[in-house]
Amino acid sequence: MSIAFTLARRELRGGVRGLWIVVLCLALGVGAIAAVGSLRSAVEAGLASDGRALLGGDLEVDTGSETVPADLLAWLAEHDARVSEVAQMRSMLAVIDPEGQVAGRPSGQRSGQRQLIELKAVDSAWPLVSETARGDAHGGPIGDATGGLGIDPPMTLQAAFADHGILIDRLILDRLGLAIGDRVRIGSATFRVAGVLTREPDRIATGAAFGPRVLMAMDDLAATGLLMPGAMVRHAVRLTAPAAPTMARQLAERFPSRGWRIRDPRDAAPGVTRFIDQIALFLTLVGLTSLLVGGIGVANGVRAWLDARARTIAILRCLGASAGLVFAVCLIQVMALASLGIMAGVGLGGLLPVVAGRLLSGLLPVAPVFGFYPAPLVLAAAFGVLIALSFALWPLARAARIPGGALFRDALIPEGTRPSWPLALANLALVAALIGLTVLAAGDRRFALYFCAAALLTLILFRAGGWLVMLVARLAAGLGSPAMRLGIANLHRPGAPTPLLLLSAGLGLSTLAAVALIQGNMGVQIADQLPAKAPSFFFIDIQNEQVAAFQRIVEAQPGPVEVRDVPSLRARVVALKGVPVEQARVSPDSAWALRGDRGLTYAAAEPEGARIVSGAWWPAGYDGKPLVSLDATLAKGWGVGVGDVVRVNVLGRDLDLTIANVREIDWRSLGINFFMVASPGILSRAPHTHIATVKLPEDQEAALLRAVTDALPNVTGIRVRDVLGAVADILNQVAMALSVTGGVTLLAGSLVLVGAVAAGQRRRIREAVILKTLGATRRQIRAAWLTEFGILGLVAGLIAAAVGSAASFGVMHYILHTYWIFLPRTLICTITGALAIMLVFGYTTVSAALRAPPAPLLRNE
Amino acid sequence: MDLTPHALSAPLVRVRGLSLTVPSAAGPVDILRGIDLDIDKGQAVGLVGPSGSGKTSLLMVLAGLERASAGTVMLDGQMVTGLTEDALARLRRTHIGIVFQAFHLIPTMTALENVAVPLELASIRDAAAKARAALDSVGLSHRLTHLPGQLSGGEQQRVALARAVAAEPALLLADEPTGNLDHATGAQVIELLFSLRARIGATLLLITHDRDLAARCDRQVHMSDGRLTDADLASSEAGTCGASPGARHGPVVS
Repeated sequence: MSIAFTLARRELRGGVRGLWIVVLCLALGVGAIAAVGSLRSAVEAGLASDGRALLGGDLEVDTGSETVPADLLAWLAEHDARVSEVAQMRSMLAVIDPEGQVAGRPSGQRSGQRQLIELKAVDSAWPLVSETARGDAHGGPIGDATGGLGIDPPMTLQAAFADHGILIDRLILDRLGLAIGDRVRIGSATFRVAGVLTREPDRIATGAAFGPRVLMAMDDLAATGLLMPGAMVRHAVRLTAPAAPTMARQLAERFPSRGWRIRDPRDAAPGVTRFIDQIALFLTLVGLTSLLVGGIGVANGVRAWLDARARTIAILRCLGASAGLVFAVCLIQVMALASLGIMAGVGLGGLLPVVAGRLLSGLLPVAPVFGFYPAPLVLAAAFGVLIALSFALWPLARAARIPGGALFRDALIPEGTRPSWPLALANLALVAALIGLTVLAAGDRRFALYFCAAALLTLILFRAGGWLVMLVARLAAGLGSPAMRLGIANLHRPGAPTPLLLLSAGLGLSTLAAVALIQGNMGVQIADQLPAKAPSFFFIDIQNEQVAAFQRIVEAQPGPVEVRDVPSLRARVVALKGVPVEQARVSPDSAWALRGDRGLTYAAAEPEGARIVSGAWWPAGYDGKPLVSLDATLAKGWGVGVGDVVRVNVLGRDLDLTIANVREIDWRSLGINFFMVASPGILSRAPHTHIATVKLPEDQEAALLRAVTDALPNVTGIRVRDVLGAVADILNQVAMALSVTGGVTLLAGSLVLVGAVAAGQRRRIREAVILKTLGATRRQIRAAWLTEFGILGLVAGLIAAAVGSAASFGVMHYILHTYWIFLPRTLICTITGALAIMLVFGYTTVSAALRAPPAPLLRNE
Repeated sequence: MDLTPHALSAPLVRVRGLSLTVPSAAGPVDILRGIDLDIDKGQAVGLVGPSGSGKTSLLMVLAGLERASAGTVMLDGQMVTGLTEDALARLRRTHIGIVFQAFHLIPTMTALENVAVPLELASIRDAAAKARAALDSVGLSHRLTHLPGQLSGGEQQRVALARAVAAEPALLLADEPTGNLDHATGAQVIELLFSLRARIGATLLLITHDRDLAARCDRQVHMSDGRLTDADLASSEAGTCGASPGARHGPVVS
């Protein structure tokens, strides 16, 4: 073996010009994966270190729509816990003028506008826990006497809440043209805007997804009249206690089957953690794609390098080197260079988040804790090693088969050479290891597996595309002008780089096309193409006795109005088939419905737009034991079916619902859809509210909102447009992250393409010189090559468009559970982009080749 | 292209005061120093001289593959020096055939494709049929679909020969065509070269180290240090070249 190292070292001394592409490709791919992993670790560390502050205590007991019960508070007092109660709900904020009337002034922005708000009521103990002393994600000052709370102008919470004061998000101030000291109405109570809430320590644990935050004193909440039975409110109590770590278990034992959700600081922001997990998975896979593209670069680089080294290898073989020794020497050299690339990538990936994190600090939900996180770096390096080996082994194995006698022949590496069986098997094992690592390292393994399958399929597709192009080119011989014929023939000649160039250009393009199509689809669905059937408003918390009044107000609106209302209860699923949900094994994509309060409705008749896939709807007038109709996707994810029992907790009471049928729901309509629809009967007698959707012309939306909230102050109107806008904002950030990583893939693809074209350039220059000698004009040579590159670009673009469409369909349909739209413009951009890229490459190549003077090449050697 | 009335009677190749100087790290190097040379239509000229004397450079300049520093080259009464690169390429297509020592076949093209390329570039009809005929004339009709790498050295040179004569050029330039071949194979190639030249009536400039081979030409020209030393060294055995076939070709027209 030492002789292999000696020979390898001796040759490496002579330079490794051909292998620079290997170093660059690996550095880029490994760097991307390492950077994503490091940033994720930094964010997770941020979540962990601030967990207490983010949660607002050592423990949180979320009692859902049930007010924190006295027995719980008593038990906590017994256990020396400091407690703080919090309630959250959505509501409307309306501006009122000094006379106490809701402002209806026509001028300015205040003209009777309503703002959907995320209301949070806190007691005087809040916030129980202050932030750790390291600043927050938004660059604010270090934790201070106010416990990480930021109020502008500075004041204590007590002072702010005095005289029915509230703190509001600056957004409300700007949007409604309010000033400090102005009076506003929430529900049926009037409040004074005491100041702007600039920082809220437990904001991410109590998300404010749909509207800006309003903070009020718990004592003032009752006066709003919003706490009606069945209102969509969430109560929670946070606590700090010396015995907190063991209290979660004690609580569960002391208060069984209450349907509460108990969280500790590790689980402070499950939504954020989930979101970060998913984004990290997406980005890692995009990074992996660029590494895969880099793998093609590795294979190309090694192959070109070996072609140039073939003479040396043949000489070594003539001098008695075994095939094994030649293989070892080459492998050592390639892996030495690969290690260099991988190390560079790891270094880059480790450092990049520190720089990027500072720039992105406003976009990240928590302040990342930057540091050295070995795990993601090791993982990225492992991916790098596996990719390098998987892609280098095949060309290396061919090199080992170069016989000494090849020295005396023209073509040194015969085309049809196949590696030996053991090496082919080793290569297979490496690919399997790569897939294994990808799947094991991913949070969502099924998705990762799909990704691997898609990546393999894409590689096969491009290889098949290469074959097809060569076949068609062979059949099309003799078509077109002499120059075109030459170009077409170039595509299928022995040793033609057709498959190589297709793959090099296509893989990066496919990723980019997929990313662009996913972005485009998100954009179209959210912003541009609101379904025609989609309602304008959701009105929530309409009390039973308010339904008639609500109907009257809506119908009094001029113009066509569609209104639909259904009863709504808040329920949380506590057990499936008798197994508590904490212990139930459910699929990751169905787990969301088991977290927290969910909507539940009841209906006598089957809802419109649903399709029953198993079981049957209950008969009209049914009033027997409670039945439920369940969404098909959830039923599958939960592993339940017709006849099984789902136990739900409604307002603190457990209720067993037997599944009567499973139905498919068309969520696209954006209408009212409940995944659980119960039979009437017992539920209709429970306290509940109504949800209504109203569809009316856009110019009447403001008037309707005003009319409803004036007459029914406790009712909250949510404009669908605003919600979709908020969702669009989040998705745009995701899309930006995808674009950046997609850009890395394109960069890797371009590098690979440059490498692939450069590898063939010597041959091309020689060919150009001979053609010129035979009387070809520069124009003819240029036309020939542009024909060749143009066809390659067109085919690469077409395949990339197809792969991108399929991948984006997969993501939209299976991951985001939404529909996919054909976006011809994006596809045309992909195809013309591919064509343009290839033509630029072709033009550059041919120009360089045409500049080469013929005489030196033609002289006798 | 300019076609002068004396073209028919003038020599096919007329070189006057031709110099080639190339820059190098050690200063400019004079490769050709004021060459004057006339080659009549149908004549076979053997160009001999030691290595580095400038033979190949002269051939390159004649073929328009290298630009002269000074002096003029006329082909069939037409000024070659000063033509654009593409005009030179068009001129080569139909009027000049070149055979190299290293064959210079395109390795990824079959024998037939290699021969057909210049014909196709010149948009000559039936390029493939003509190429097939040319390969047949060098005895390679059974090797049409072989790649250069699958042919022996002699066969490759025969393909190159077929390629050079396929368009029936007025001027054949051959640079040590047997240099890479063994004696017997070389002799075969030379026989073919001379017989094909005779058949198409081309003028030949043959670079060779081999005095005997040069002696088979109508005329021998000796070159040394970038100069023609004893030009017009008439060959006594001119007859073996096959009688000069006479001016079958019309004037050089682009």
